[in-house]
Amino acid sequence: MISLPVVLGVAAVMFAIGVYGVLSQTNTVMVIMGVELMLGAAMLNVVGFLRYSWPEAASGSFFVLVIMTLMAVEAAIGFALVISVFRHRRTAELDDLSGLRD
Amino acid sequence: MSAATPFAVVGVAIVGAFAVAWLEGVVAGRPSPVPVIRGVGRTLSEPMSAPATYDRWLFHMAPTLLLVAALVALSTVPWTPGFRGIDTEAGVILFAGALAYVTPAVFMAGWGAGGGLAVVGGFRFLGLMLAYAMPLAMVLTAVGAPAESLRPAAIVEVQANVPMAIVQPLALALFVPSVMAVAFIPPFDLPQASSELGGGAFSRYSGLEAGLVALSQRILVVAVAGMTAAVFLGGWHGPLLPAAVWMVLKTAAVAGLMLWAGRRLPRVEIDRLLAFAWKVPIPLSILAIGWGGLVTLLFYR
Amino acid sequence: MSDLGVALVVWPSAAILLVTALYVFRTASMARAGLLLLASLGVEGLIFLALASEFLGALQLLMMSGEMVLMVFFMVMFMPDPGGLMGMDMTHDKRRAQAFAVAAGIALALVAVLTDWPAGTLNADAVDVRAIGFEVMGRSMFTFLFAGMTLMFTMIGGTLLAKQGGRYRVGAPSGELRDAGDEGR
Repeated sequence: MISLPVVLGVAAVMFAIGVYGVLSQTNTVMVIMGVELMLGAAMLNVVGFLRYSWPEAASGSFFVLVIMTLMAVEAAIGFALVISVFRHRRTAELDDLSGLRD
Repeated sequence: MSAATPFAVVGVAIVGAFAVAWLEGVVAGRPSPVPVIRGVGRTLSEPMSAPATYDRWLFHMAPTLLLVAALVALSTVPWTPGFRGIDTEAGVILFAGALAYVTPAVFMAGWGAGGGLAVVGGFRFLGLMLAYAMPLAMVLTAVGAPAESLRPAAIVEVQANVPMAIVQPLALALFVPSVMAVAFIPPFDLPQASSELGGGAFSRYSGLEAGLVALSQRILVVAVAGMTAAVFLGGWHGPLLPAAVWMVLKTAAVAGLMLWAGRRLPRVEIDRLLAFAWKVPIPLSILAIGWGGLVTLLFYR
Repeated sequence: MSDLGVALVVWPSAAILLVTALYVFRTASMARAGLLLLASLGVEGLIFLALASEFLGALQLLMMSGEMVLMVFFMVMFMPDPGGLMGMDMTHDKRRAQAFAVAAGIALALVAVLTDWPAGTLNADAVDVRAIGFEVMGRSMFTFLFAGMTLMFTMIGGTLLAKQGGRYRVGAPSGELRDAGDEGR
């Protein structure tokens, strides 16, 4: 019933929702949430491969661990940047942070 | 894990919650269990009400999430060789993971109450989480090392001769305050903070939901006391009495100690606690992991 | 877990995963957005558990709760309308974003369905916690070291970025902490 294309399909839709979030949200924190969704979709893909194609590959599990680490790292640095930007500009909206444009 | 395990866990939860409520009375100087029963009856017979402006979904979901988190944490505790709860290979991680959901639940209770001091209570618990989360997870790693497994039953088995408390006292000293903070037992009762925040994060609940919150907190106390007894005090090992009796005695002792200590100490201040927690317990937890590894290499191999 | 058991867990979990992920970007309240993302990624942990990755599932459940609650914390600090009651529209370029998202999703789904993936059987050699431990300490030790160093640099870098006055203490107040914009810096 549940096979690899099902899991990959679910992950594809999750990735698409993450892309929508990153491209459409104006606030930096919401963009970070979109990126978390995309990384979550990637993790789901790897776990699907681990279960259905290569169940003995422990390096696949480790790869998922690395992706989880990266989720945390990206969120941490993102929030630190948001704090720093907010201190100087009083806003975290991406539309207002267009100083380098043209 | 058999089909009867969920029912057994729920049974342990209900009996344990009553026992903890009674223990609280004993520690406070009221040794009779009658006020507990009367208090339960009174709470459940109140009508359920909600504050005037509140976040409907979050307010009503918080007690349920708290209850689920407490029950899942309780189900990872091994009680006897025959009844080990959910006996998974990464059981200790599941325990920490279930306890991690106490934070969103308390936050939802505070935020859902729609403003005022309840939100402050919820956010203070977030700060508390930053303080206790790391020592809790790291000490569980240190304790898993001698057993070479993350299965709680395996950690109990490896203590057949010597309890872990004697081999890794630093880990015990870090674990007990961390789990007291998770179960928001005084002196870590920042969400409730009854004298400071007018009831705090749970003040707006009444009736069944208030009963659920109180029940969940006591189930949390049973779960963390049980896990401490299992992982540090040798679980069901002991000379004369049967396994279940030893486990119950040890759990009761740990819970009694936690509740008694809470009444003696003043409530922590969140800013001083955070400043202290990041400078002392976290480096000590890293040391505890190193010590656990050393002990494993020297004695357990 | 049996096939039926896996299906019983995965189908509802996938539905919850996708619906809550979508509502993260449709809700106006920031606390709800963060908690919906927690629901989404937490349910993904349940899917991991059903797909025979116990350790990863438990770890995912554990990490997501802390991360998302902190995210809510940050949103309440830095967003103009954290309660969601003011009815602001927080999006830009919605049509193009939707088009891109749909295109990406369709492309990935097509690859998923049309490719002939190799099939492996789940037997006693499958990955368990011990195997992950040996892998991490053995073949993947180098990657593990780099991941650890990345985390350390993140901690130091994040703290420096967030410090008042930045790394060189430009314009930092000498006395108690002051927030930006309080006295028109």
